[in-house]
Amino acid sequence: MMKQLAGNRNDSWVVIAGLIVAIVIFAYFSAGGNMGTFTITLLSGLLRAMLLFLVAAGLSLIFGLMGILNFAQGAYFMVGAYLAYDIQHPTSGVISLGQHIPNPELRFLVGIIVAIAVGGALGAILETVLLRPLYKRHLFQLVLTFGVSLIMLEGIKAVWSTTPYTWLENIGIQTQRFVIFGASFSYYRLFIIAMGVLLIIGVALLLRRTRIGIIIRAGVEDSEMVSALGINVRSVFTLVFTLGCAMAAFGGAVAAPFLGATIGMGNTFLLASIAVIVLGGLGSYEGTAVGSVIVGLAWATMEQFSIRPGVGSVWASITPMLLLALVLLLRPKGLFGEER
Amino acid sequence: MQGQPPKTRSPWLTTLLDNWFLLAVLVFLLLLPHLVGWLTDSSPYGVQRGTRFIMQGRSVFWQSVFIEIYALAVLVMSYNLMFGFTGVISFGHALFFGLGGYIVGMMWQYTDIAPDLGLGLSIILTMAVTGLLGFFIGLVSLRLRGIYFAIFTLAVAEMVWIYVGRWPLTNGEDGFSISRMPEWLDPSRNRLNLYYIGLALFVFTFLFIRRLVNSPTGTVFQAIRENEERAKTIGYHTLTYKLIAITIASMMAGGAGILHALLNKKLGPEMFGVVYTVDALLMTIIGGVGTFIGPVIGAGSLHIADVLFRDANTSILGFNIGENWLLITGFIFVIVVLVFPYGMVGTWRRAQSWLSQRWRNRRQQKVAMTRTGQPVEDSRA
Repeated sequence: MMKQLAGNRNDSWVVIAGLIVAIVIFAYFSAGGNMGTFTITLLSGLLRAMLLFLVAAGLSLIFGLMGILNFAQGAYFMVGAYLAYDIQHPTSGVISLGQHIPNPELRFLVGIIVAIAVGGALGAILETVLLRPLYKRHLFQLVLTFGVSLIMLEGIKAVWSTTPYTWLENIGIQTQRFVIFGASFSYYRLFIIAMGVLLIIGVALLLRRTRIGIIIRAGVEDSEMVSALGINVRSVFTLVFTLGCAMAAFGGAVAAPFLGATIGMGNTFLLASIAVIVLGGLGSYEGTAVGSVIVGLAWATMEQFSIRPGVGSVWASITPMLLLALVLLLRPKGLFGEER
Repeated sequence: MQGQPPKTRSPWLTTLLDNWFLLAVLVFLLLLPHLVGWLTDSSPYGVQRGTRFIMQGRSVFWQSVFIEIYALAVLVMSYNLMFGFTGVISFGHALFFGLGGYIVGMMWQYTDIAPDLGLGLSIILTMAVTGLLGFFIGLVSLRLRGIYFAIFTLAVAEMVWIYVGRWPLTNGEDGFSISRMPEWLDPSRNRLNLYYIGLALFVFTFLFIRRLVNSPTGTVFQAIRENEERAKTIGYHTLTYKLIAITIASMMAGGAGILHALLNKKLGPEMFGVVYTVDALLMTIIGGVGTFIGPVIGAGSLHIADVLFRDANTSILGFNIGENWLLITGFIFVIVVLVFPYGMVGTWRRAQSWLSQRWRNRRQQKVAMTRTGQPVEDSRA
């Protein structure tokens, strides 16, 4: 069984199809056969998948390129959520930037842009100032990102306190809902799913069709060789780190309207994203995309399942970690990973 | 160096002379409760009320601080065995710490076994559970690259932390207090006993790790840290050695958890949380990775700083140090990793050897000058 599972690339797609079908069947069972609930579960799963992708893509590319698992990636997601929340709510927030913008829709846009900018800037600082001096010492780089995540978490606690924030001010698209099989789903969430799919395709095109993407992919294969060819790999590292962190912060900002801003969200998404990249195979882009769909669907399904009496919500919370443990046990190289 | 007469000292005397510093520290720690009591005019047994003792006074206070330091030092030393000596990094070491505490607490609080027997049983159970769990986690993840072990420990610790935080039996987030424990061990009655038990555990762990690392097995640990591929090529089955290190480290962390639970008598899911892992990591790095006394110094200095700044709620220039203590800890962490990656002990040793190297060079230069009558270029230049 183990030998069969660890087959070649074509087998991967069979395993993926099998997993997704199994999750969908389980989702139907969890919904108790109710088509409306079933559809909403799947849509929530896809939504979760897109948010996971935003965090995991950076994590995966950074790992593939530099061999660093950025434990601070979850903190960037959280920073994005807090900034977006704060700018949207001028009365209950801490930074009074939002007060100068009367239009709530504009505020929302500004919030997202600020989150991306701050996330990217913090990412660039982390890479250039803190990680570069430790270039040849991977163990200490790992330890350092862990320390940075601690600083960011405690910094957020110092600025915004530990009180969880719930999004109060909904702008147009967040309130409009559509009905499917008798259950309603917000257009805003659907919009995020669509945007996530576009981002997956966009980043894939960036990686496959542009010169910089080719350099990045070559760097994932062998960064020393790329640097021997006369390409400044260090600046590519900085670029990927900045983009990865900006994407995570963007994910946090768009998720804030329904997840709110809480101090636990960073860690939750970090661990789920780690599950994603291990499932997909460390450093593999397509693996990350497929992995986030699988983990997202499984997570949302377990959330639906845990509503049933006698299950307990704790099982939904630990689903990503359970998946991670199962992958490490059964197929440690992941779906698209190489034998390591 | 040639021409010296062969050493005629007895091995006992050699041991004593080689370890004079550690022995002096041990004597100091043995006398500490009485010393503090004598200096501050308080009894190390607390204040007597009728037939009972009330735990008041500086001596009793510093006893509790040092018991906590012993618990943390054991945790940090066990972490250093993995991170510093074997080169395996874990982000979930608090898991074993929490398991130790919860097992002993639940044994007393949720079963009817007599407290003394319960203590013995829970120590055995803790060693079995933490050892097996550490072994299992290592077995699953260490077949792969080192990063998987970091990931897997983090995931398992987080999973258990979430689960314990919502476990109705142990009151979820709130945790529970220990109200039933052997009287001779109770820190609110006989704290001095617990102090010496903690000291004994600490000294045992220290000596055990020193013996282990200096043994042939420990040499292989360090070979793995330096270059695992090479150790493998020489013919060592490195997985076995890493598993040995992890199993022992997990059991020690369980022991530290028991001591922590005995002292605080209050258990919550935070024992499994990331804070204790960060503590272990930070104290290892601040003290000195891969040294014997580094973790002890790290644990001691950080916990005393914790007591002085966090609990006292000090503020400097309107900035409350107590409330932002973890933030400051984070900054110290990052700065130490960047600037002093060898920690206090490592940096001190490096400075020492650098100074003596300089001094030796200068002397050689002088000797050469007197011989040839001309300045000689620095051999290192």
